[in-house]
Amino acid sequence: MSAAYVKARFVLLALLLSTLSCKKERVNNLNLDQLHPEKLAVPGNFPAATDDPDNPLTKEGIELGRLLFYDTRLSGNNQLSCASCHHQNIAFSDATVLSNIGVSGKILPRHTPALINLAWATSGLFWDGGSTNLESQAFGPLTSADEMGQNLSELEFELKQVPDYQKRFKLVFGSEINSASVVKALAQFQRTLISGDSKYDQYIRKEAGANLTDQEKEGLSLVDSKCRNCHAGELFTDDRFHNNGIDADFSNDSFEGLYQGRYRISYNLEDLGKFKTPTLRNVLLTAPYMHDGRFSKLEDVLEHYNSGVKVSGTTDPTLLPTVGKRGILLTAKDKNAILAFLASLTDNTFIQNKKLSNPYHD
Amino acid sequence: MVAIAAILFTSCKKDDDTINSAEAAGKATISMDAVVGTNDFALNTNFTANGKTWNFTQLRYWVSNVILVNAAGVEYMVPNSFYLMEENTAVVTNSNFTYPAGKRENIQLTDIPAGDYTAIKFSVGVSEKYNNNLSLQAGELSQLNGMTNVSWMWATSYIFSSLKGTVNDGTTTKTIAVETGLNTNLKSVTLSLPQALHISSAKESTISLSADVAKITDGVDIMATPTIGASQAAEMTAVAGNYSSKVFTVKSVR
Ligand code: HEC
Ligand code: HEC
Repeated sequence: MSAAYVKARFVLLALLLSTLSCKKERVNNLNLDQLHPEKLAVPGNFPAATDDPDNPLTKEGIELGRLLFYDTRLSGNNQLSCASCHHQNIAFSDATVLSNIGVSGKILPRHTPALINLAWATSGLFWDGGSTNLESQAFGPLTSADEMGQNLSELEFELKQVPDYQKRFKLVFGSEINSASVVKALAQFQRTLISGDSKYDQYIRKEAGANLTDQEKEGLSLVDSKCRNCHAGELFTDDRFHNNGIDADFSNDSFEGLYQGRYRISYNLEDLGKFKTPTLRNVLLTAPYMHDGRFSKLEDVLEHYNSGVKVSGTTDPTLLPTVGKRGILLTAKDKNAILAFLASLTDNTFIQNKKLSNPYHD
Repeated sequence: MVAIAAILFTSCKKDDDTINSAEAAGKATISMDAVVGTNDFALNTNFTANGKTWNFTQLRYWVSNVILVNAAGVEYMVPNSFYLMEENTAVVTNSNFTYPAGKRENIQLTDIPAGDYTAIKFSVGVSEKYNNNLSLQAGELSQLNGMTNVSWMWATSYIFSSLKGTVNDGTTTKTIAVETGLNTNLKSVTLSLPQALHISSAKESTISLSADVAKITDGVDIMATPTIGASQAAEMTAVAGNYSSKVFTVKSVR
């Protein structure tokens, strides 16, 4: 490729960038000389969150991460941001079985999870936990041709054209813009995606006026006894990997073992078909369900646990035969109570939180 | 074009004392000369080895945790030692930003405590802490050089080594892509030097190693498994083992 051609491309790119950078930004005017260490706003009923010593949170780092999360410059075609697949109004999920909006237009083999309480997701990200931390994880969507298809050198080049970014990176990381700092800032922002202010939370924290209906309480006690061994604790996930019986045949090893669940990471046969327990928080907003988005309604999920559990060598023992029937037996009344309770886990504060919203929108 | 990150060394004065306080620290070059059996390695060239004809387009591997061991068994660990060794044509990307063609066989070490060294150790790959977190920077580690290939992104970690090209067994030609990665495959290499090497400020020393590319796939049925990656766990472990015990030998020290 001739140097002149490359140069011409760069001029075009620079022009394009200068128009892109005219977008309105609705971020608080930060004092860009000083860094302010930040602590996560941990809800009272939550376990403590551990800080990452290699990427300490600052107010300015989080804000930078937010700008990046919503910035389409992060993709190869400058049309997709992280938020294109992770929408705040549905708890940072995408309401799509399998997305095909990536740069290549190919269908992604897995369903987009909601991004909720990631600061506590310490046993690995992705449905199989293959990525060890939010910092490394971001390189996945950034570089994958089927997602944002970005070349990292180009990413650095493009971001360096934006004076505001230059200032912010300098302040937050004390260095030039580089891809390591991009993912660190994204991780800081994502650690603030905390959802802990649902009706259930207010009830459990005994806040004034907060209560659950009798049916919701009945649902809570059903979930406590039948589901919370996996959808555990206040996070409603044990952050572990289980085979919840949606499949029993894991012989398909295509896409480097994509359908084999945790096994592709651990190579332990006991992990065949195990996927990370998703949280039940905001679950009414995050349909469709499971790692491949196979269930469109919560009713289908409950019916799966009631009558659809398939048995294989790795099916979780708690789902195995109960009184001559496999699965978690649920009556129609149980199901309604569980659905009512799950609705109480919807956190409107979270999905409306301005600090988490698109900074480029008016 | 993106220049390879400058190699940064921090000297470790404390270690100087424990090894030899009288002389000043010295420099050394570790040269890793790629060969195929008795021939010098080159890209796009036919080689005969193990009864097959090989033609390579890429050889890359990370060398890390370089340690020099002195006659008393005291180890000097080179700080921030992550080096990308390679012989490579330009890596084509989806953008104007390509990774340039390059050949890199030498590692320059500075500030090595003066002393008589009898062995060298290093790992092929990237140690767990850095492999688990691509945002941590040290030595030459970078996300920009194609060694964090997309097909590995589900485990978001480094490719430890990569050998690409073709192989022909007389009847069929297969395209090969032999990669190692994953923490369990971080293997170390220990080589005794043929004679003690005195390193000090008085002269620049050289440790010359050969890296025999023909040994990388030793014991692996390459015609049956021409692509080796995370899905070929057993073959990948075999290749990592070869890097550890068969690929590298010492040619000379001076
Ligand atoms: C094209 C759609 C798409 C885009 C764009 C996208 N993601 Fe995702 N995201 C997904 C899918 C699909 C998964 C699940 C992948 C898997 O588990 O194999 C996912 C998973 C994740 C996870 C793991 C969550 C968990 O609980 O394990 C995080 C974190 C995440 N994405 C953050 C990001 C960030 C940051 C960006 C922007 C740099 C981004 N995503 C861009 C579709 C997308
Ligand atoms: C043995 C552990 C276990 C038990 C018990 C369990 N689940 Fe699950 N649940 C999982 C796992 C693992 C997944 C994800 C499976 C997948 O995607 O392949 C899941 C997925 C779900 C989902 C989909 C969430 C989403 O975002 O896609 C819902 C809803 C759900 N479970 C509700 C329940 C309810 C209600 C109960 C009790 C009646 C229950 N689960 C019991 C482990 C469990």
